[in-house]
Amino acid sequence: MEQQITRRTQVLTNHLLLHGEPTSLSAAPPLSSNSCLNYSPPELNEPLSFNPTDMRVYLDSHNIPDRDWLFGLITQSRLFNPKQRGHKVFFSPDYNQSMEQQREMTMKRVLYLLEKGVFQGWLTERNPDAELRKFALLEVVGIFDHSLAIKLGVHFFLWGGAIQFFGTKRHHDKWLRDTENYVVKGCFAMTELGHGSNVRGIETVTTYDSNTGEFVINTPCESAQKYWIGGAANHATHTIVFSQLNINGENQGVHALIAQIRDADGNVCPNIRIADCGHKIGLNGVDNGQIWFDNVRIPRENLLNSVADVSPDGQYLSAIKDPDQRFAAFLAPLTSGRITISASAIYTSKIGLAIAIRYSLTRRAFSVAPNGREVLLLDYPSHQRRLLPLLAKTYAMSFAGNYLKQIYVKRTPESNKLIHVLSSAFKATFTWHNMRNLQECREACGGQGLKTENLVGHLKGEYDVQSTFEGDNNVLMQQVSKALLAVYIAAKKSNKPFKGFGLEHMNNPCPVIPSQLTSSTLRCSKFQTDAFFLRERDLLNRFAAEVSQFQAQGESKEYAFILSYQLAEDLGRAYSERELLQTFIQTEATVPAGSLKNVLALLRSMYALICLEEDAAFLRYGYLSMDNAAAVRKEVTKLCSDLRPHALALVTSFGIPDAFLSPIAFNWIDANAWASV
Amino acid sequence: MAALSSTKPDDHQILVEEKLSARILTLNRPKQLNALLFQMISRLLELFIAYEEDSNVKLVIVKGKGRAFCAGGDVAAAIRDINEGTWRLGAKFYWKQFTLNYILATYRKPQVSILNGVVMGGGAGASIHGRFRVATENSVFAMPETALGLFPDVGASYFLSRLPGFFGEYLGLTGTRLDGAEMLVCGLATHFVPSERLSLLEEALCKVDSSDPAIISAVINEYSKQPYIKEKSAYHRLNVIDRCFSRRTVEEIISALERVALNKKDDWISKTIQSLKRASPTSLKISLRSIRQGRLQGVGQCLVREYRIACHVMQGKLSKDLFEGFRAILLDKDKNPKWEPSKLELVSDDMVDSYFSMMDDEDWEDLKLPARSNLPAYAIAKL
Repeated sequence: MEQQITRRTQVLTNHLLLHGEPTSLSAAPPLSSNSCLNYSPPELNEPLSFNPTDMRVYLDSHNIPDRDWLFGLITQSRLFNPKQRGHKVFFSPDYNQSMEQQREMTMKRVLYLLEKGVFQGWLTERNPDAELRKFALLEVVGIFDHSLAIKLGVHFFLWGGAIQFFGTKRHHDKWLRDTENYVVKGCFAMTELGHGSNVRGIETVTTYDSNTGEFVINTPCESAQKYWIGGAANHATHTIVFSQLNINGENQGVHALIAQIRDADGNVCPNIRIADCGHKIGLNGVDNGQIWFDNVRIPRENLLNSVADVSPDGQYLSAIKDPDQRFAAFLAPLTSGRITISASAIYTSKIGLAIAIRYSLTRRAFSVAPNGREVLLLDYPSHQRRLLPLLAKTYAMSFAGNYLKQIYVKRTPESNKLIHVLSSAFKATFTWHNMRNLQECREACGGQGLKTENLVGHLKGEYDVQSTFEGDNNVLMQQVSKALLAVYIAAKKSNKPFKGFGLEHMNNPCPVIPSQLTSSTLRCSKFQTDAFFLRERDLLNRFAAEVSQFQAQGESKEYAFILSYQLAEDLGRAYSERELLQTFIQTEATVPAGSLKNVLALLRSMYALICLEEDAAFLRYGYLSMDNAAAVRKEVTKLCSDLRPHALALVTSFGIPDAFLSPIAFNWIDANAWASV
Repeated sequence: MAALSSTKPDDHQILVEEKLSARILTLNRPKQLNALLFQMISRLLELFIAYEEDSNVKLVIVKGKGRAFCAGGDVAAAIRDINEGTWRLGAKFYWKQFTLNYILATYRKPQVSILNGVVMGGGAGASIHGRFRVATENSVFAMPETALGLFPDVGASYFLSRLPGFFGEYLGLTGTRLDGAEMLVCGLATHFVPSERLSLLEEALCKVDSSDPAIISAVINEYSKQPYIKEKSAYHRLNVIDRCFSRRTVEEIISALERVALNKKDDWISKTIQSLKRASPTSLKISLRSIRQGRLQGVGQCLVREYRIACHVMQGKLSKDLFEGFRAILLDKDKNPKWEPSKLELVSDDMVDSYFSMMDDEDWEDLKLPARSNLPAYAIAKL
């Protein structure tokens, strides 16, 4: 102990002495002249077993040159707040600015990207390639700043998407090009103070005045005020209004209309009242607002009429008679929102991991032997156990996110339900993972994680919103389980095989888990898939049984669901994780044999086994014996040390440029040196 | 690029002078504008590695004999090699040259390059990565590769991408020539010294006896002057360059330029468009992507990527533009290359992707750069 203290004192003294000699940096470098800590770039000490640019192709999967182009546009402009720290420059918004300043900067950045042609084709081109490019560019924007991505997301995906999906040719012709060029700035007024996830319960009312051929939108009570409307507080000129449509005294359910809320000079329109939602725990670059409509009159043509219309004389016309189906059609644009949120959660996880892992490869703490060199953080098995399973999950989610984007851009009417369920499950799973991952990364960076400039801590506030917007995660997961149950009931009723949502495995004999699990069994994708199948199968059976038991006791179907929430949650997770494992295995199959494929196999095993370890259902319901569970735990530790040598290459493969990480990811001694601060 | 076998080794191709703690290396093939041969590169690499370890050496000066600093690799010799033997000889050349570029870019001691004449391609690679680049009124800089069916290599995707705005895309795609004043203002050069003062500067540098960049810079400053930037300089067009060369694709860059040209007749714009239309379409697309990736990567990663591309280009499986460019510009001199594919829109993204992927060849491997341990922060970022 005493020796340690002596050594610490010596180290500190050396630091102080170095400060006294500021010229030592510019003279010939003192290579081994003292026992001060030297920063050594991890690249120099960690051999690469594969080329990260090749791995990046599987992770980013599409539009890599377009992504690099946009990263470059950001780094070539002063608007994105370049900050020199030591010998490196970082790009990140100044979160120390006031809310007003942050909003102003966000809008300026939007206009810069507009001028550079970033949004070209975002609404006027409709084909899978254009859609994938749009996704890729939005992901890059999100790596720079969540506010900027949300600001664009609201304008293009929500406002623009609503016009595309709910509108017809007259709306497309009138609004899409102007939206793409920011002649109009759109927002999306769905949520109300009194209603969030339950859109069907919103209280805004619209009636039709056949004398003037106008709709009249009204906020009848305070709980009906539109709330959290991104863009409303400062910038938006137009909004989509979600409202009950009341025609001739009959409520036709929720419909979407276009209303102008500001003129071109930014003045709020008559009969519109707007308030500011104020400062938030994050996303302060987005101007969320509250809107009240005081019998606002809009032309009849402003009803987005792809599912239903009102004739000039006031007749309600709809091809879809069932109000449930009509409502489902209205929620379509939220699917793309969930896809972009899922992707953004993955990229934020990548930022956190790249920073924490790079730091752990350069920061040392405590020596094992007296007077020995201090140990690198990532050489502690405990530190590996904290970060590497999260790394494996992030890889799994990348591949799954790519799969989701692919089926989305190639969507057909038949695949809509699958996309809805999959995007719900992934949005919840990925955003929960993101928050947990950031917290672990921030702790893994110690006190440095607290500095806003180091990102990992600050991003928690920026991304917290993801778990509740565009559908509360818990509600989404319940919907997933409901959809699975519907497949179950359909199969049982008709006595036909299970079909859809990947539940076909239910038609096979029940998988058997060997009583002895060897290392090679545990790392075998067949075993891993079997274990996931077994869990999903059993949980679905149990969920169905419990719901029908409650119903047999006289509860309504709806209330039976509510009572079975625990199994519903477990099942949603089982579904999501099984999909993730399967898309991982599919991706792996496309990789040619070699070192890269071998590393992916390690990651896939890590992903599968950490799920087995973390979900209590495996032990609770006996899918794994206690011996099995112990073997899994042991294997996770082994996988940690197998993955350790690849850690740097694995985070480099994320393709996030240095300038979008943070000072502790690089030479943190240089960045904090007296000459730099 | 250059020959491996064709010219017999000649110790006089690199002249070495030892002056106190300074070393002066002179590229000495004046008739060939000091174009680099394989053995010259090998020799430079040996010398630089030895000087880094040698505590008696504090400063390395590099210059060229005659009216050029260095016009690049010896293309004529290289193409002959590839045609006669296999592309592997060319790959070996690139391996060595990029290793040299990497050592210079991460060099611990200051390198002062005296750029009193032509600096192109490999010549830029042997100088721009170093700490000090002294331009003169005789300097002519260019990365003319796209006109030859090649792409800016030798780490150009690193140093071009770090120029102001989108000037790097402009230089790399059009092959535009810069004079010494322009080199200074855009950052390719660190100093401008009139050529008549060069011998005095050299003398002073030899007496410095220090590796401190601040001291060396101060010495060069004593001989420097602020040059006049000519009125027609592209540097005065930074606004237009930023507006056009920031576009997403080569096609969009050209149409942005054409839109500007529509509004007003302008020689500079039409010259720029012409040079893009003359260049190999494949080269343009590879170069744009390479520069943009380079902007986000370290110099090592840039060289590894450029090595991959260079191997694909030499192998000639994806396109034979290199050989066509050589024929039209250097051999037949008809200046009328028949590029294949002949138009930008015929070069698909997938085709461009292939140049950035591994070679499908068992014996091929990615460029492995030497480990550079304990590098100080300032050695990694010179630009």
